[in-house]
Amino acid sequence: MSAIRYLRLALLAVTLALAVLMRPSAVSAHEAAMGVLEFREVRPGAFVGRWSIEPSIGASRVDLRVPPHCFLRLPEMNCGTKGLVGPITITNLGSNMSVVLIKVVPIEGEPRSYTISTANPVVSVLGTGAPTLEVWLELARTYVNYGIDHILLGADHLLFVLGLIWIVGGGWRLVKTITAFTIGHSASLAAAAFGLIGVPERPLNACIALSIAFVGVEIVKQQRGEIGLTARYPWIVAFSFGLVHGIGFASALAGLGLERRLLPAALLFFNIGVEIGQLAFVLLVLALIWAHRRLDAVVPRWGEALPAYLIGSVSMFWFFGRLVRVFAVI
Amino acid sequence: MKPNLLRAAIAALMLLAGGNAAEAHIVAARLGDFYMGVVHPLTDLGDVVLWTATGVLAGTLGGAKGRWLIPVFPLGLLTGLLLGQMLGAVSTQLADAAMMLALGMLLAAAAQVPTVLLCAMAFVVAMIRGAANGADLAPETDRVLFAAGLACVGYAAITLTMALTAAFRRTTADSPTSWRAIAVRALGGWIAAIGLMMGSLALAS
Repeated sequence: MSAIRYLRLALLAVTLALAVLMRPSAVSAHEAAMGVLEFREVRPGAFVGRWSIEPSIGASRVDLRVPPHCFLRLPEMNCGTKGLVGPITITNLGSNMSVVLIKVVPIEGEPRSYTISTANPVVSVLGTGAPTLEVWLELARTYVNYGIDHILLGADHLLFVLGLIWIVGGGWRLVKTITAFTIGHSASLAAAAFGLIGVPERPLNACIALSIAFVGVEIVKQQRGEIGLTARYPWIVAFSFGLVHGIGFASALAGLGLERRLLPAALLFFNIGVEIGQLAFVLLVLALIWAHRRLDAVVPRWGEALPAYLIGSVSMFWFFGRLVRVFAVI
Repeated sequence: MKPNLLRAAIAALMLLAGGNAAEAHIVAARLGDFYMGVVHPLTDLGDVVLWTATGVLAGTLGGAKGRWLIPVFPLGLLTGLLLGQMLGAVSTQLADAAMMLALGMLLAAAAQVPTVLLCAMAFVVAMIRGAANGADLAPETDRVLFAAGLACVGYAAITLTMALTAAFRRTTADSPTSWRAIAVRALGGWIAAIGLMMGSLALAS
């Protein structure tokens, strides 16, 4: 059996495993030391804060930062007429304190909860009333930046996009392929964020790694003169794997404790951020391809297959590492 | 009026030459040490001027000579970073200024530099800047990630600068008195002048 067949078999196995595991369930938070801090509004803009569950490092060692207009000296916090609106962060999250739940109990309206974690160290509190322009701008700034950060730190997503560019080349085919990837991941990101689909994070990450290995194999096939699935129908491959990668993007939004009324806007801004980051990466890669052509700097014949094998090796390294984590959970 | 302008220019130059690594460290806090390696050199005048000068010089000499810099320049950065880590913090101000002056003068003179000399100069520039970039790393910085980011940005910056210059010059056989060649030579003159000013500042301080 050839290596490609082994890979296809592995892809099928993980997809089947995913299908079995796929159910509407929240991504489980890991159970490292967690703290719960409750802010109860006693008069407009004035809060009393209390640790209902103290983190293991001790409440006094938590470096909590509140919006600049708020004055904090626990147990008191005064945010004046503006109210508790803006970013809250904890700068010293780590292995000893990985998650802190902030509960805000306003005088009027429903209590709200926000989760600050090592993966998402900043949360935006948006107030109880109808969102103002300032709130929308804050939301846009936070989530566009968050989307950009997420794609720039997502080496696996970028490697997949790189593989697609490698196979498809430039021109309209690339525009269509990247658009298909964008549509795919936007659709599944929205579906996952609204709870329509739920996929456990660890098997999903293994599947994302495998999607990159698939692209690596397709590059090798193309170099051998064979016409692979990606070369023939790049938008179908991009759309299909875009669906998988989109659920991965959604895991970044999970556990932020964002209010449901603001979720569509947060999702939109997050996606815009992801697209900005992705577009910047694609433009950089295209610029470098152009530069290499202009300088007539090509990879020597003996090294032509190297990038494809590098992509394949890195992705399989990730795949096995992530697969180990899947079984570690079970 | 003129002395005021000159003072303002010198003050601005000193401000830029001081190197503002704060932005890079903010990037590190937000995106990690790989991106810190990417952004760190872009916040320092020494890197920006020297990398540009090296790329433009190689670009004017054509793809056949310039393409050697694609592996040589990042390799030089990594070597410099390694040496900087081994030998500790060293001041590179005078060496930076000397390289700026040399590269600027070669550009201004439209000199036909041989490939070996071009590669050697690019390697030395990269080595000096690699050492300078590694000088103020915090102990908690992941050296491998930082080095990877630095090598990547070095590769991208030098390749794009060479290609843009080659595209601007169109052909290497252009007359040295064509307006495109004169524009590149004028840029070389400015780079040499910056080198001279930075050298004077380094000697005076």
